[in-house]
Parts: sequence; structure tokens; C-alpha cells
Amino acid sequence: MNAVTLALPAETRARGESLWRKAARKFGRDRLGMLALGVVLAYFIVALGAWLGWWAGGWADLSGTKWEPVSSTHWFGTNIIGQDIFDRAVFSTATAFEVGLSVALAATLIGAVLGAFAGFFVGSWIDEFLLWCMGVLDAIPFYLFVAAVAYALTDNPWAMQVAMIATFWVGTGRLIRGEVIKLRGMEYVEAAHSIGVSEPAIIFRHILPNTGHILLVQASITFVSAIKAEVILSFLGLGIKDGMSWGLMIDESTKEVLAGFYNNFLAASVLMFGLVMAFNAVADALQDALDPRKVG
Amino acid sequence: MEILQYALRKLLAGLPLILGVTLVSFALMVYFGPDMTYQLLGKNPTPEQILEVRQQLGYDQPFLQRYLVFLGEIVTFDFGVASTGEPVATLLAKTIPVSLILILPGFILGHVVGLLLALAAAYWRGSWPDKLIMAVAVIGMSVSFLIVIIGFQIVLSSSDGLDLFPVRGWNASSLGNYLSYVTVPTLATMFVALGYDTRFYRSVIVEEMTRDHVRTSRAFGLPESRILLRNILKNCLIPFITRVMFSIPQVAIGGALLIESYFGIPGIGKATYEAIVTGDQPVLKAVVSLTAILFVLVVVLNDILYRVVDPRVTLK
Repeated sequence: MNAVTLALPAETRARGESLWRKAARKFGRDRLGMLALGVVLAYFIVALGAWLGWWAGGWADLSGTKWEPVSSTHWFGTNIIGQDIFDRAVFSTATAFEVGLSVALAATLIGAVLGAFAGFFVGSWIDEFLLWCMGVLDAIPFYLFVAAVAYALTDNPWAMQVAMIATFWVGTGRLIRGEVIKLRGMEYVEAAHSIGVSEPAIIFRHILPNTGHILLVQASITFVSAIKAEVILSFLGLGIKDGMSWGLMIDESTKEVLAGFYNNFLAASVLMFGLVMAFNAVADALQDALDPRKVG
Repeated sequence: MEILQYALRKLLAGLPLILGVTLVSFALMVYFGPDMTYQLLGKNPTPEQILEVRQQLGYDQPFLQRYLVFLGEIVTFDFGVASTGEPVATLLAKTIPVSLILILPGFILGHVVGLLLALAAAYWRGSWPDKLIMAVAVIGMSVSFLIVIIGFQIVLSSSDGLDLFPVRGWNASSLGNYLSYVTVPTLATMFVALGYDTRFYRSVIVEEMTRDHVRTSRAFGLPESRILLRNILKNCLIPFITRVMFSIPQVAIGGALLIESYFGIPGIGKATYEAIVTGDQPVLKAVVSLTAILFVLVVVLNDILYRVVDPRVTLK
């Protein structure tokens, strides 16, 4: 009796389950992936609190003296002018999410739409033109491009994000183009054509939703790339202008490290490492869970 | 002969790309870029002086004409004079060799070590050496290049660490000097790409290892070393070549820029960084054009290498 009722749902599950349901089940069983997702969520709560002003509001205050050691008032000590390193590191978490989320969302969206158009009209002038754009963006040195965009936008605070979005969509665009070339030859697309569905409707309602698994993984990879690029760009003076970020903290710390004071460097790099590592693990787990060739 | 013809045709096909790169960067950096007029003038310039400088910089001409002048500079390889008063060509000739000997050891070692680690991981697939190597690879992927550089500097060069190598700077006057200055940048260059490279190489090797022809060869009793070299690695060559080739432009610009500006090494990366910060347009124009040309060359060479390693690939 018991065995029969237990066997039934398993069978229906195997037959009529969607890719997403199956992926969610696979992801739930991936202990490392779930742990990493937990870490990312914890970071997100920290960032949310900093946005809403629950904590880390005093990141710019001169609350101590130069290079104070770790204490109960200054959990990570203070920096060269006496600002609290813990508050600065926590506030930077919010910056990291701002940069990561805005760049990942916009770049994935643009990559999806342009990649889908290139793939759907493969071989036409639209495809040729989009491929040319991708090639050009790939061939411009990234740091130069960011600097050039910053010049052209006359020090707009979003210059860094705009430059990242303009270059990071290319990777997603190429992947989606390839996938759409594969999908456009399938029978359900042919069927949609034959009953007179318009081309934009085919692209956006019938083809793009079937690339969702690629987009999700690409968005998480772009998020990581954006956070890593922010740190280097801020260090080079091309990144965050107002506010605080891990890149600015590490830039600050380069003078302190040679004098033997490591708190600033360690706080920023350990926090950043934790988030990037967890996000990388989530991206890996997502990729495994969404890969239909891997049997769960 | 066939290859030469093919290369020429491919180079011609690369022209639109070079045009695109130069057009975009010209528009962003020069046309919409900062107005350099007042940097070249002294205090209280007269309207005539302002006009003269603007004329000299070409600001009074329309966009298209200025872009054509820029294209002419690329063709004749004459980018004018940097803001330091040095001809750009001299600057390039001085800095590019420094960057080459700085970056090359780390670039080569990184790919070789990555390939060896990937082979080890693929060989012990699923057991602990594989898991260990892959876990370390993810850790390596998660550390920022900047943190890697500072970390190696603290451990190897600072008085709190091992204090084995100079903290920053450059001196290649003798082999000993060169080795002492190049070690820390080399380790950093190597380390930062290692995680990504190892994962990539492993996935390609594992896919090839599970092919039917490998199983058949094994069933016929061929020695493992022969299977590895002739059946597995030979078939992996095309993705490997693509990987190595397309990492060249990235390392040449991105890697050199960060390493050189951090360690104060007088290579093309540091020159580019300084040109970015000061808005030195002749240098920026030269670097952008050279990178675009390098990119096209990499694409062409990549396709020719395909043909060399796999005769089934046709050059059409």
C-alpha cells in the first residue's frame, strides 16, 4: 500500500516534469550549491541593511585615530585617517551588489535580445552587423574602453557600469546566438511560422524563454566578472567615484601594506573573496542542475 | 602558397574590424573626449593662441576628416608626439620589449602548469586528486588579480614576509637582476589565469577521454602513453590553440596594464595607463590601433594553426 502511493508521484515526476522543476530538485540536492546560495543570501542581507541604513552608516566618519588595532568598538580596526574599517567593508558589500546586479541584469538582457536577433536572422545583414559589433567590442582593450566611456560621459558616476554593460553583453550574446540558431530550425518554431505568428512574437515568446537556463548561468557569471572588474577599475582610478567599494579600500591599503598594516587589505579582500567564491559555486551548481545532459 | 593566399584574404576580412575599433575609440576618446586646448596653452592665452592650438589639434575640422587623418596615421605608422615630447614610435619601441619579457614567462608557465594540473585531474577523475585540484581552481578563480599581486608582494617581497625579491621597479641589465625583478609579476600572472585554464583544459580532456575511439584503443591494448598523446591530446589541440591564442590580446593589454602600473615597470601597460590618466591621445590612438591589429592577427593565425594541426579543416 505504502509502496504504491510512494511510487506513483515518482513516476509522474519523471514523466511530466519541466526542466526548471527538475533543475530546482537537482540544485536542492547539491549540498555545496545550497551552502553557497546561503552565503550569497547572507551577503545580500548585509548589503540590504547597508542600503536601508540599518548598519554601516558611519563608514565615512572619523571615529578613531590612525591604524587602531582590532577592538570591540572597531571590529576590524581603523584606517590611515581613523575611519572604521568594518563599516567601510560592510558598506562596500552594498556597492558590490549594486554594481554586480545592475551590470548582470542589463548585460544579460541586451545579450539575450541582440543574440536572439542575430541568431534568428542568421546570415542576413542584421546578423553580420551584430557580429561585427561583437568583434569590435571584443577587440577594444577593456581598460581603455572604460576610460574612453568615462571621458565621453564626462565623469558620470555610471560610466564604469555603462562600459561594463557595453562589453559584458557580448559573451552572452554569442552564446544565445548559437542556441537560437539551433532552436529556430525546430518543429515548434516551424509550426508557429505556419500558423502566422509574427517574427518578433516567435523570438520573444517561443524562442527566448527556451534559452532561460543559459541566461541564468550567464547572469551569475557576469555578476562575478563585474565585481572583479570593479575592484581593478577602482584601483586604477577608473571605477567608483563617490562612495566606498572594496576596490577603493584595496587601493587605500596599498600604501598601508608596505608600512606593515594589513587590516584594510585583509577586510576588503576576504569579504570580496567570500562573495565571489560563493557566487562561483552557485554558478557551477546552476550549470550542473540546468544541464539536461547530466542525469540527476 | 595556399596558406599565404588564405592569410591575405583573412587579413582583408579583418579590415572592417580594425575600422570599427578605430571608429568607436576615436569617437569616444578624441571626438567626445576631453578638450586638450588649455593643457597646451600657458596662462591667459590670447584668442589667437587658442585658435592656433585648436587648429594644430584639428578641432576646427569636421569629424570625418579628423577620423581620416587618424586612419592615415595608422597606415603610415606615425602617431605623432606624446605629451612628454617623445615621438610615440620611440615610446612604443622602448616599452613593448619590456612588456614582452615581463609577461611572457608567466603566460607560458601558466598554460603549461594549467595543462599539467588538468591532465592530473582528468587522469584521477572523480577521486580525491581531481576534487582537490578542482576545488583549488575555483578558489583561484575567486581571488582578484589585484589581491593576488598584493598578496605575492607581501609574502615574497616585504620585510614581514620572506623578503626575497625587490618590492617594485624594474631592472633587466643582467640575467640575475631580470630574474629577481620578474619573479613576483610572473607568479601573479601565472596564478590569476591558472584556475580558469585548469578547468577549461580538464573539461576538454575529459570530454575527449570518454569518446568511443579511446575506449576501442584501450580494448586493443595500446599503451596508455600512446593513447594519451595520439588519441586524446591530439584531438584536444584545436580548443587548446583557440584558448592560448585568444588569451594573448587579453594578457598583452589587461595583464600588462595592471602589473606594470602596480610594480612601476616601464612597459607598454604603464605607458597606456599614464596616457589614460593624462588623456594623452597620440599614445592612446597608437595603443588602440595596435591592439586591433594584434586581434586580427590572432584570429588569422588561429585559423591557420587549425589547418596545421587538423588537415580536415579546409581553408576556403
